[in-house]
Amino acid sequence: MIEVRGLTKRYPGRTVLRNAVDGIDLDVPEGKLVTLLGPSGCGKTTTLRLIAGLEKPDDGRISIGGTLMCAPSEGVYVGVHHRPIGVVFQSYAVWPHMTAVQNVMFPLRSGQKKLPKPEARRRAMEALEMVGLAEYADRPAPALSGGQQQRISLARALTREPEVLLLDEPLSNLDAGLRDRVRDEIRAVQQRLGITTVFVTHDQDEALAVSDEVIVMDHGRIVERGLAQDIYAWPREEFTARFMGISNSLPGTVTSADRDMAEIDLAHGRLRCLASGTPAVGSRVNVFIRPESLVLSRKDPSGRGWKGTVEFSIYHGDCWDYHVRVGDTLLRSRMYREKIGLAHGDPVFVVPEQETAIAITETPEGTADERTAGATVLAATTAADAAGQGEL
Amino acid sequence: MSLLSRSRPAPPPPTLLPVHRPARIGRLVGWFRDPRNLLLAVVAVVVAYLALVPAGTMAVASLQTSFLSTAPTGWTLHHYTETLGEADFWTLVGNSFGYAAATAVISTVIGFGLAYLVTRTNTPAKFFARVAALIPLIIPGILNTVAWALLFAPHTGALNVLLRDMHLPAFNIYSLAGMVLVQSMHVTPVAFLMGTAAFTSMDSSLEEAALASGAPPWRVFRTITARLIRPAIMSAVLLMFVQTISTFEVPQLIGVPGRTFVFVSKIYNALQAFPTDYGTVGVIGVFILAVASGGLWLSRRLSGSGAAAQTITGKGFRPTSTDLGRWRWLGLAAFVVFFLVAVALPLLMLVWSSLLPGYEPPSISALHRLTLANYREIWHTPGLIDSVRNSLITAVIAGAVVTVISAIVAYITVKTKVPGRGLLDGLATVPLAVPSVVMGVGILYWYLTAPIPLHLYGTLTILVIAFVTIGLPYGLRYIVPGMAQIKDELEEAAATSGASWLRTFRTIYVPLLAPSLTAAFLYTVIVAFREISAAIFLYTQGTQVVSVTIYQQWSNGSYPIVAALGVLIVAFLALIVAVVSLLTRKTGLNRQ
Repeated sequence: MIEVRGLTKRYPGRTVLRNAVDGIDLDVPEGKLVTLLGPSGCGKTTTLRLIAGLEKPDDGRISIGGTLMCAPSEGVYVGVHHRPIGVVFQSYAVWPHMTAVQNVMFPLRSGQKKLPKPEARRRAMEALEMVGLAEYADRPAPALSGGQQQRISLARALTREPEVLLLDEPLSNLDAGLRDRVRDEIRAVQQRLGITTVFVTHDQDEALAVSDEVIVMDHGRIVERGLAQDIYAWPREEFTARFMGISNSLPGTVTSADRDMAEIDLAHGRLRCLASGTPAVGSRVNVFIRPESLVLSRKDPSGRGWKGTVEFSIYHGDCWDYHVRVGDTLLRSRMYREKIGLAHGDPVFVVPEQETAIAITETPEGTADERTAGATVLAATTAADAAGQGEL
Repeated sequence: MSLLSRSRPAPPPPTLLPVHRPARIGRLVGWFRDPRNLLLAVVAVVVAYLALVPAGTMAVASLQTSFLSTAPTGWTLHHYTETLGEADFWTLVGNSFGYAAATAVISTVIGFGLAYLVTRTNTPAKFFARVAALIPLIIPGILNTVAWALLFAPHTGALNVLLRDMHLPAFNIYSLAGMVLVQSMHVTPVAFLMGTAAFTSMDSSLEEAALASGAPPWRVFRTITARLIRPAIMSAVLLMFVQTISTFEVPQLIGVPGRTFVFVSKIYNALQAFPTDYGTVGVIGVFILAVASGGLWLSRRLSGSGAAAQTITGKGFRPTSTDLGRWRWLGLAAFVVFFLVAVALPLLMLVWSSLLPGYEPPSISALHRLTLANYREIWHTPGLIDSVRNSLITAVIAGAVVTVISAIVAYITVKTKVPGRGLLDGLATVPLAVPSVVMGVGILYWYLTAPIPLHLYGTLTILVIAFVTIGLPYGLRYIVPGMAQIKDELEEAAATSGASWLRTFRTIYVPLLAPSLTAAFLYTVIVAFREISAAIFLYTQGTQVVSVTIYQQWSNGSYPIVAALGVLIVAFLALIVAVVSLLTRKTGLNRQ
């Protein structure tokens, strides 16, 4: 439905030789929701704005529904208002001088096909009904709450039945509780209408919750793409693993490998893990293990446990996070429900769950990664926070 | 946990202090013992005195049977019935409103048009527009007026000579149209700054959302951009109107030679006449005061309603610019024309005139007569250097006083919860609504008649009082945002470290506010230095300030001296403006 090839956008006046969007190819199949996920400044919002036509690319082609929208090399550029799109902005962009229903009617009254007023109002009311705001139709827009404004914005984007819906961080201006509700609503409406959608976010949980497919971006390039559950369960790239919050990473050496699995020699012992491709025996890898996959116990009947001491613990309500020192690495373990009552200095065994750890071949830049696991989590969260402040 | 488990010493039993005075007075004295409350009281009295006395005196004078005479005074509405009954008065109203309205509309249209090009399009060389926007600070109104009079004087004006050479009709500047032209050139940059602020604070995703809804660009401009900016435009028109109706130089220098009188020139000339009709002057003064405060109030209300558009600009705010394509060269042309007309023409005219022994339009033959004699002459013209000194003294003292008062007012209104702080803030901004002319006449009336033992009339002090009152709202405009940026915790941290309030103010607030304080000081110096509308009523022999001297020299026909002095003043003010803008940029404060 959306087809993007070799999309490139340079920022004028920048001395740094790095493109905001650097030769991206992507396809969004009809009726699917694809998420562009990445930290602040990774080019995801720019990509969305290029698809919308709010910015002009320096190179590449974009077509929507088989019609070429933009190709600088051929001198093709279809103006924003001629594209079959609906856009929801991070700042809602609900016009403050209109009522809710006037906002939603605007596309029907101002686009190429102008509907008569009663007809436009009827359709706008349907759209408001769909987002549950019919009773607020005649309220002035600024009198509505943030969540309501964002739902108005969604109704407005959908009301003229565009071929493509583009959502630019639609949830990041909302309060935490509201965020989940509007998120669910967006997904429900998208699935009901079967509308092709591009969703931009810096929040991995949000991305997993709404997406059919996730595209992870960094530095204007696509790092990895896949089904939401694949990206979560088996990231193939270090960047993705860290960005998805897999906070334990241990260096090791491959001792044997078959198609999807490998046996890795770590500082504390051996581990069987998932591995993409068939890594060469003897090659260096980083093993990523989710905190949930490290089980703590006071005894070690299986003999697979690593001996360590508890540094500190944090209570989250539904789980405990333990930070355990094993040798000179600090590992994070998350325990649900089980209350094993460990305190600072207690000896403990860390038992890694087999076959959920992921071995990723060290990339040349990623070698000798000095960052501790904790620092990585911090980096990911601050990146996410920074992205919330708006990005380039 | 020894810290927690250790038992606390029992509180000392309450001791009853012997009561020496009645409790109420005791409480009052206690209230004043807090330095903050004492300051509040002192500052409130000073500010109220400065803000209310001039306009009040003028209103009282307009209601008295005789003013400044030995005859017994009584109350009367006679001045009102008489003045409002004259046909002349209504011609005056027509002239004044026509002049101010035309100026307001023209300057706002040009100012907002340029602001749109600068903030929302990819027009090149925005530098020209930004520099031109500083002219009202750099070229005082009186010099702007003088320069335009030299450019368009009916027979000898440089541009009129040019027009005649091209067989085009000459333009007589001494007319209502001429007044509008000169005043518009002076206030357009202010409108431009207001427009820039309005356009930058508008979230451009509001326009993008309309584009993405399928509306073509011109329709987006009409239904979204224009509608959202409308309150700001109305507010700017009203402000330009108020500013135009209350300033002195254009009506006097351009209007009077062409026998076009407006309120301000009428007041000035009525006060020059003998016997002086103080009552009529008072009535006209009250009339402008009413118009100005009404306009300002409406303007505030409108820009307040515009705030609705700003509150919803969220985190995703990003300024975007429209690609004008080939049209952007037309935008560039607009910048350059604006720059040439508003900055280059008047300045070049001043420089040219300052280099010739007597005024003549620019020509090749005149090049041989170029001389620096006028600059030397400045030192020998009686009273000229004195007036520069007077201006510097009054401006610097006024700047210092305004900075101190503004800092305290800003502290009280921003950082404390003292009841009455809103009123204080309101009082400090009252001078904005009092036209400078009314301020001048009001202060004059008050110190001529006030039952106080000080005789300030004829001293520089009276000028300082006027400049402080006029400068106060501007000083606050720089300091309040600076004060708001300093978090309360910083003061609380100092207090919990054991510092007294005075020490906290000195060691925490003053250093952190230093850039804002300096900017407020320098800006007030500029305001005071270029001020004429109030000073013209308050100077006496020996207390002329430089703007008044320029006016007198101009009236005497010493154009070359005026031009030479003007060039030096522009250079001096440009330097201060450069320092102010450097300071405000460094601290990220964005005023206006």
